[in-house]
Formats: sequence, structure tokens, C-alpha cells
Amino acid sequence: MSGDQESSAVNVAQRQVRVQLTTQQEDIALPENTGPILVPTGLRRYALSTLVNNLLGSEKPVPFEFLINGTFLRTSIDEYLTDHGISAETTLEIEYVRALTPPLHIASFQHDDWVSATDVLSSTSPAASWASGATFSKGQERILSGSYDGLLRIWNMSSETIATSPAASEGGHTASIKAAKFVSPNQIASAGLDRTVRLWKYTEDDDFVGKITPQLDLYGHKAGIESLAVHAPSNRLLTGSSDHNVGFWSTKKADAPAAPENLLPNAARTSKRRKLNTSVSTPQRGPLALLSAHTGPVSAAIFDAKDSTVGYSASWDHSLRTWDLVTSALVDTRTTSHSLLSLEHLPEHSLLAAGTAARHITLIDPRASATTVAAMTLRGHTNAVVSLARDPSSTYGLISGSHDGTCRIWDIRSTKTDKDGVVGESVYSIARKSLEEEGKVDSKRVGGEGVKVFSVCWDQTVGIVSAGEDKRIQINRGEGVLSSNKV
Amino acid sequence: MDARKASKKRKAVTRDVEEEAGVFSGDELSAENLDGALSDNNNDLSESEEEDSDSEIELIDDFSDEDDEDEEEELDSDEIPSDTEPVAPKKTQKSTPVNEEPNYRIVKDANGNERYLYDEINPDDNSDYSDVEENANTIGDIPLSFYDLYPHIGYDINGKRIMRPAKGEALDALLDSIEPLELSQEELELLKKVQMNESTIDGYNPYEPLVESFSSQLEIMPLSAAPEPKRRFVPSKHEAKRVMKIVKAIREGRILPYRPPEEREEKEEDLINYDLWADEVERPDHIMHIPAPKLPPPGYEESYHPPPEYLPEKKERKEWEQTDPEDREKEFLPNDFGSLRRVPGYENFVKEKFERCLDLYLAPRVRRSKLNIDPESLLPKLPSPEELKPFPTTCATVFRGHKGRVRSLNVDPTGIWLATGGDDGTVRVWEILTGRQLWSVKLSDEDAVNVVRWRPGKDAVILAAAAGDDLFLTVPPMIADPEIEKASLDIIDAGWGYAASNPPPSAADANKKNTPPQWIRPSSELADAGVCVVIPLRYVPKSISWHRRGDYFVTVCSGASTPASVAIAIHTVSKHLTQYPFRRRLKGGGPPQTAHFHPSKPILFVANQRSIRGYDLSRQLLVKIVQPGARWISSFDIHPTSSTASGGDNIIVGSYDRRLLWHDLDLSQRPYKTLRYHRKAIRAVKFHPGGRYPLFADASDDGSLQIFHGSVTGDMLSNASIVPLKVLKGHKITGELGVLDIDWHPREAWCVSAGADGTCRLWM
Repeated sequence: MSGDQESSAVNVAQRQVRVQLTTQQEDIALPENTGPILVPTGLRRYALSTLVNNLLGSEKPVPFEFLINGTFLRTSIDEYLTDHGISAETTLEIEYVRALTPPLHIASFQHDDWVSATDVLSSTSPAASWASGATFSKGQERILSGSYDGLLRIWNMSSETIATSPAASEGGHTASIKAAKFVSPNQIASAGLDRTVRLWKYTEDDDFVGKITPQLDLYGHKAGIESLAVHAPSNRLLTGSSDHNVGFWSTKKADAPAAPENLLPNAARTSKRRKLNTSVSTPQRGPLALLSAHTGPVSAAIFDAKDSTVGYSASWDHSLRTWDLVTSALVDTRTTSHSLLSLEHLPEHSLLAAGTAARHITLIDPRASATTVAAMTLRGHTNAVVSLARDPSSTYGLISGSHDGTCRIWDIRSTKTDKDGVVGESVYSIARKSLEEEGKVDSKRVGGEGVKVFSVCWDQTVGIVSAGEDKRIQINRGEGVLSSNKV
Repeated sequence: MDARKASKKRKAVTRDVEEEAGVFSGDELSAENLDGALSDNNNDLSESEEEDSDSEIELIDDFSDEDDEDEEEELDSDEIPSDTEPVAPKKTQKSTPVNEEPNYRIVKDANGNERYLYDEINPDDNSDYSDVEENANTIGDIPLSFYDLYPHIGYDINGKRIMRPAKGEALDALLDSIEPLELSQEELELLKKVQMNESTIDGYNPYEPLVESFSSQLEIMPLSAAPEPKRRFVPSKHEAKRVMKIVKAIREGRILPYRPPEEREEKEEDLINYDLWADEVERPDHIMHIPAPKLPPPGYEESYHPPPEYLPEKKERKEWEQTDPEDREKEFLPNDFGSLRRVPGYENFVKEKFERCLDLYLAPRVRRSKLNIDPESLLPKLPSPEELKPFPTTCATVFRGHKGRVRSLNVDPTGIWLATGGDDGTVRVWEILTGRQLWSVKLSDEDAVNVVRWRPGKDAVILAAAAGDDLFLTVPPMIADPEIEKASLDIIDAGWGYAASNPPPSAADANKKNTPPQWIRPSSELADAGVCVVIPLRYVPKSISWHRRGDYFVTVCSGASTPASVAIAIHTVSKHLTQYPFRRRLKGGGPPQTAHFHPSKPILFVANQRSIRGYDLSRQLLVKIVQPGARWISSFDIHPTSSTASGGDNIIVGSYDRRLLWHDLDLSQRPYKTLRYHRKAIRAVKFHPGGRYPLFADASDDGSLQIFHGSVTGDMLSNASIVPLKVLKGHKITGELGVLDIDWHPREAWCVSAGADGTCRLWM
């Protein structure tokens, strides 16, 4: 009873609440004996962050974010308690995590034409991790870019082109490349408007001069290929094409069936007229399966992050489909209300993030048990969201590239609920450096004209790599991201 | 004097004394003589009197003379029934004035003219005036026969009977029987008194002086010297009793202390007050009758001695003086004068009266009919645009590349490519989402590409474009996969054989104006770029519209100089054939503007400047006429689900006079709805194809697009509901032109627009 009286007396002066600070990261954990602390309810994130830094006694303050019941604290504790109807007398469990530091611009690689696709090869990238036994030393990070001029380029971190794919006359892509991925440190897959998927062998000699040589051409799509997903351990590729089909391919020449004759380049008039005297004859193969159920162009096709026998595809026909790749069967269809233009899997939350033409990202639960189609909506972009990538360091993080010329970092814990359901807000927005250099940072480009982002890739080592209409690859990195991983 | 008096007496009895006298004295039979004798007997005075009266009457008027005579005649006629010779006296009467000499003399006056000098009138006692006054029969103008049964013939002025004069023998006998009557003067007086109803007592003076038995003068001294009795000082018991009675009555309410008010009113009613406005009926509101506004009653401020809190402070006063008189909140400042006598005259009196008169003169009050309606309630109940999502809201992509205006654009049936044509003579194909140009061909160096249209259907990729006089059918390379590209080429190439089998017309035919043109192969340069067929039309086609099956397309050359017979052409791709279905110009409204095939029926709709006509091509009949009422139709579009789901055909029409009109063809020839939201001409209108989204859009020269929701319901009873959704702005106005063409994505709620500023925009 006396305690009650005491707390009420305190309430008059300054309401206080008992908080228990926890974290899941050991390097920043508080000493074991730190019990609940009584803090004023007026505190906000910054004050709490200072408090934790003091408790840790770190010489260099680290910014922290605070999570109460799985959502970020964006107001004062007092307001949070009021909003959620929590009594100030309970002990509040607050989890703290390192705040994401603002991603800073590291470098930009200038291209000759719009850059439509990009991928990263680093020690932490999937391609390297898949390469069994391959040792990938630090400082050998490579960045792959596919451009509208039909060329693939390999860059090192000091913005030097190490290798360029052969031109159309030498067995290269005859039209714009729309997607490109490292399959392994030595193999690259690319696809584009010439309706082919090409596999390249990438070799690099000691003096940083690489060579990209065609390895295999895969025919089967009847329209431009928009997206490409690789799963190296099973040697499988998944493509989404404008001909409404999802292509399932093998990267091994031996596995792949023969290419359909009618789709080979010499079948049509164009080949007759402008005979491409390709000096190199590349083997041609067909798809393992063409998965057709979509009624619109397929904009994205990905493998399930955990199970390579499951594929997901998103299409302009508003639907998201789940495929069983073993039997090439359609498992499930989720229909949304907008055209879907990009797709990413968040395996830990069993969610699929789909970027739409309606300027937002929908998080969809693909499991059959899910009751609602859209679990969450991430709003903030002002144009179509065409590229998505996972945060390599956090299961909650996500980055999106949009035609509005920005990349936005999202944390699915940073949400609020409004009339449309759960809506998330972006944590950071990365603008194009090219705009900044032109001195038009503030000028709003209508429809992201000239600065559209076509592809984004987030690697733990390299950072955020985005490619766009400004003919550049732009690398951004939050300093804290790296430092936290080093520890 | 006696005789005269006697005659006078006789006269006093009746006027006919003279005749009576005649009767008295003379022979009855010789009345004429009698009369003459009578007149002779009469003294001079009477004669002269008669003469006088006559002359006098004549002097006044001839008519009066006659009247006089008539009167006499009448009186005579009274006698006539009893008299056998009525004429005789009359004659004498009549003859008298004739016989008499005129009572005037003619003298020469100073000017030598005739002058009538009349005798002087002798105002004698015997003059006719008194006679007539005294003895006139007063019965008035009634026939005397009424008195036949009576002894009298009337009444004199004193109310006495005028006895009928005795006549004939009876009279004579009477006179004879009577001794010569000697009446003394006294007897005569007596008779006269009797006659006059006067007292006959001798010496009676009716006018004796008044003896005042009760004086009007107040006596000063009391009559009695007795002291005042006590009772005069004692209150009267009787009075007290009566007062008590009254008091009691008042208490009981029998007597009211005041008169009841209605009594007073009644009393007031006696007093006539003329209330001018009493019966004024309230007049109904009329434009010519505006009642004066009711002014509020004066408040403290208007007082000459207002409470101090109403008096303005210095600052307020200064502020008031500085503001313009028109802007002042009130026209006066409260002023304290202390007492009424210190109030000065109103200085602005004259000015105010003048202004008031000026107002009345210059600004007659006109009633502004103020509607007391909640403006919200007038708005039609439209669903909120939020509920009608999706529709395009923002610009997603800008397509840059054309130099000069982009005149036309079209999204291909798969919804991936966008074709545009512009003033630089190029046709370009773009990736719709990213805005990447994939293919371009320069069709003409000088002429602009006026229109580009993809062939419908996904089995082939054929783009029809019109540049200058020529039509081009192209298959953009590397857009579609080889199979479809081959199929497209096959479709076009199939016609060459057909055309070859029909020999080209002779040179003579070719000279004729309306010979269909031959389809020719393009130059190698164009052929390399992807152009397959060129159709030289000789006139500039401004509109291309494909039939849904993709075998036909219709072109319209809307130039004013185009002959009517070749303005509209239907081209058959499979036969390489061009036909001109119309020989004559469409009636009413200038050259044809644009034409479209009906999406499901074999009907071709052709618009000229003012009307749209639907022709059944298989029966060659005019089936529909639509008159939008626009002055110059720029474009129209047919609802894609027209006549398929049930419901009628719906057409939207855009016009250069800024109107967008929705027509329900089953409803009326006239527009179902007119939408006037643009400031400048509407260039293009388009329904969302496929009917997946009930949207339509228009493009205007004011640089904006407007998106509408127009859902067509299946049942015939309800009309289409049209909701304006969004104005899309972004195109710059270049040379008075804004947005020139518009198209929808075939599946999505996205639209693309072509601007005069050289850009195309994708809106999503």
C-alpha cells in the first residue's frame, strides 16, 4: 500500500514507468544484473538511446531503436501507453536494437545506357554462399550490371569495368537486358527483351581482367523476359516473361531439353534480313517447363527462399501465384487489386512482398491458411515499385526500388494501423545521386523522369546497389550496418 | 283707386279675371266682342300693363312669349270642357300681340345702324310679377281634368282652394238673386281677415311688446333674508344612500369603474379616421413590387444622449473619420448633446435627400431572388471517387524523344508497347512502363504522322500509321516473338497475290478521281525499318480506325478540300483493297471528321462536324443519326460493351467547342449528358477498352486530361451514371495546343496521352 501511495505521489510530479530493457544482440546486451529501471514516461527514442548508451558505458554512442511489443517506439512512452491502454504501473518490456544508420552514398558507376539490372558478388552474397568450397576473399566484391544496350558489365568496387559481355554480333544479347544474376562466382545468367536467357561463363585472371563468354542460350519465351531468379544448388532458373509465362530452366546443358525450333533466331524473317554472323555458336536449349496460368505479363518470378521446389510469380494481371516446380503445377493464386511488378520473399515471416504499379508494396501471406490477402501495406513511393530486395542483416528489413527515383528502406515493424489496415512507413529514402549532382535535389521529377530505379540489390558487404534510368549504378551503405557486422 | 283695387282683387283670385270679367259683363256668344269690350272696359292701366308684360316677354325671348301664350292657352283649355267655344278667347289672345304696335322704336345710332329703343318698364304694383306670384295655381303641371269632380281647380300659394269659377246661368241666377252687395270697408277687412286666417277681433295686435314675467336678469339679492338652513351643511343622507348603492353596485361588479374597452372602441368608431393602409392587401412578390426593407428600431447609439459606453473613443473616431464614407461600418458616430435643444440640424440632410433621390432614379430596387437552399443538397448524389478506384491519378512515365508535337498514340493490344507518331514524321514504339524507346522509323521528311493505330488482336503486330497523304502498314521488328512477327508479315503479304490477280486499272481509270489507290511496296529503306505496305491516298488521312477483327480499317480524310467521294475509305488488309463506300457528302455539317466501327455489330459510325451517323454496312442502310448539338465534333468513341451485355449503344463525343457529350443511342438522338469542364477544345475522347473498368477520358487543348467514371448498367431502366474523377495536368500548352490524343491501357486503369509539348505521358 505504501508503494501505491509513493507512486501516486510521484505521478503528480512526473509519471514514471518501470521498464525492462532487453536486446537480442549480445554485443550490446546490458549486464545481467540490470533489473527494471524506473524512467519518466516523457522519454522519447533519443533519450532512451542515450540512457542505454550510458548503461553500456560505450565510448562512442550507438543509436538505438526501441521496440515495444514488436513495433517501433515513435512517440514518447507516455503517448504510447495512452494509445495502447497500458497501465503505467506494469513493467514495460522494451527491446532495443541498433538503429539503422542513414545509408550514405559510396560510389556511382556510369554506364552508356540505362541500367536495368544489377547483382552483387561478395562473400555474403547468395551466389558466393552457394558456391561450395569456393573461397571468396574480401576486397574481391564484384558488381554485375545489365544494361539496355544489351551488355553485361562487371565492376569492381573502385568503379572499374572488369569485364563486358560480347556484343550482339558475337553471341551477346540482341536487345535490352532486363535481368541479370550471378549464378556462381564463375557463372552469370541474364535475360532481356530478346526473349532469351543466356548463361555466361565468367573468368577473371590475376590482373583484374575478366572475361564473359557465352555458355548457353535458353529459348522458350515468346516475349521479353522481365525477371530472373537463380537457385544455384539445384541449377535452376526461374524467369518471368511478358508472354504471360513463367519459365523454369536448368543451367546445365545436359539437363535442359532441346530448344523449340520455331523460336530460334533463324526462324523468322528478321534473321534472314539481317543475318547475324555470330562467330561463336552457343548451345541452345529449351525450358524445363513453361508455367502458364497468368493472364498478364509476368513481372517477377522468385524461388522460395527456403524451398527451391516452390516458386512464386507476380504478374500484371494482379495475381500472385505459387508454383510447385517439381510438378510444374499451380498451387495457389492470390489476387490483389493492382498490377504487381516485383516480388521478394521474407521467409521468416512467411510473407511475400510485392511491389505494385499503384505505388505501394503489399505484403502477402501466401500460405493457404492465411485469411487476408494483404497482411500489410507499405506506402510512400510515388511511382511503381519495380524492384525489391531483402535486408541481409535483418529479417524485418526490406528495400524497394521505384520508378519515382528513390529506393526506400522499410522495416515491417515500423507500422501503424489506419483505415486501410496495417500500413508501414519507410525508414529511409535514398535519392539518386545524379539528381544531387545536377543540383536539383529538391526538384520533383514528374514520374521520376530520368532517375527511375529499375533494380536494387542489398548485400551485407557492399551495401545497397541500385541501378536506374540515370545510367548509373549507385552504391549506398549505412556505416553502422557494416560496423555492427564486424563486431 | 277703388276700381283699381277691385280689379286687383279680382285678379288676386285668379288670373282669368279678365275673361271672367268678360263673362260677367258681356254676351257669351259674342265672346270676341266681349273681349274687346272687356279690354275696352278695362282701364288704361290694365291695358298698358298687359302691353307691358307682353312687350317685356317679347323682349326676353320669343319663346317665352309663346310659353306665356301656351300657359294662357292651357288655362283656356281648362275652361274648354265646360265651354263650347274655346277658340274665341284664344284668338283674341293671339291677335292681341299682332295688333299691337311694336313696343320699340327704331333709331339710327352713331354708326348709322338701326337701333331699337324700347319703352321704359313701369314697375307698377300691377305688374305681372306680383300677380303671378300671388295668385298662381300651385297644383303643378298636371291635367286639370283631375279636378273635374271637385269644386276647386287647385290651390293658391297659401294653400287655399282656388274655386272653380262659376259659370253660365247658375252664376247669373246667383248674381241676380243677390241684392247688389254693399260691403263696407270694415266688412271687407273682416272678410279679408277671415280669408287670411287672422284674428277677427278688433284691435288685436299680434305684435305686442313682450312683458318679461321671468327676468333673464339675475337678481343680486336673495329673495329671503332667512339664514341658510342647517340641512344645507349636513351631508345628505339620501345622497349617501345613493352613493352607497352605487358603491355596492361597483363592488358587486354591476357597475364597472371603467367602461369596457370595446365600448370605447365603438365610440371611436364613430369618429371617422381614414386609415389609408387599412384595406391594403399584402401583394404577392412581383418584380415590379418590392416592399421596402424593414429597418431595425433605433438603438442607444442613435440617441442624442447615449450612455457613455456607446460614445466612440478618440481612436475609434479617428479611424471612422479616416475610412472612406463608403467603407464605414455605420454612417454616423454616436454623439452626446446633453439635451434635445442642443441637437444641431442634420448637416447632411440635403445631401442625403439628394442621394436618396439619385438612388431612386438611377438604381430602382430590383429584387434579387435569394435562394435559401443548402448548396450541398443541390449536388447530385455521386459516389466518392475513392470508391471508384482504380483510376489514373499521377504521371508515372514521361516519354521524351519526339521533336515537335506528338499527334497520335496507341497502346498495343498486349499492353506492353506504346506507339506514337508526331510532327517530326517518325513513328516510335516505346516500352510502356519504363518509357524506353524501342523502335523508330521516319516515315516522312516533311509531313507529320497524323495517326498511329495498332491492329487489334494478339495474333499479329501490325501498326497502321498515316503520314502526309500515305498510309503505312508496319510490323515493328523485334517487338514480338518471331512467330507472331511472321504471322503479321503473312497477313500483310497475303494481299499481294490477291491484288496481282486483279489487274490494276487502266491509265484512263487511274486518272479518275475516285479510283481506289493501289497498295504498293515501300522503298527498301522503309522496308528495312519494318514498313510493309504503303497506300497512297492522295489526301491527308486524319483518322484511322480498325475493325475489331483486324481485317478492315477505315480512314477519314477530313480536309475541307477532299472530295466527298474519297474522304472515307475502307481498307481490307487481306485483299490489299481500298474502297470508297460513300459517294456523296454526309448531310449537314461539313466534311467527315472521324469514323469508327461498332465493336460488335456491322455498323460503321461516321462523324462529320455536327452529327454522327451509323451505317449498317451489310444492308447499306443508315440506321442511326446522333446529333450531339456540338458545333464541331473532334472525336468520338463507342462504348466497348455496347449492345453485347444488353443495354444500348453508348457513345461519347468530344467537340472543339469544349463539350464532352454522352449519348445513349436508345434514349435519344440528343445527348444524355453534357459535360463542360474544359476551358478549351476537346481533342480526343476514349472509353477504357474491354469494359473492365468503366472509365473514360478526354484530352483537351487546355493541357489537361479528365478521367470520368461512366458505368453502363445492364438493364435498360437505369441510365449510365457519370462521375468526374480526376483532372490530370502535366502537359505544357505549346502553341495553343495541349493534349492531342489519348489512349487507355487495354487491361489496366492506366492511360497515356500525347502532348503538343513533344512528350507522351503514362498516367497510373
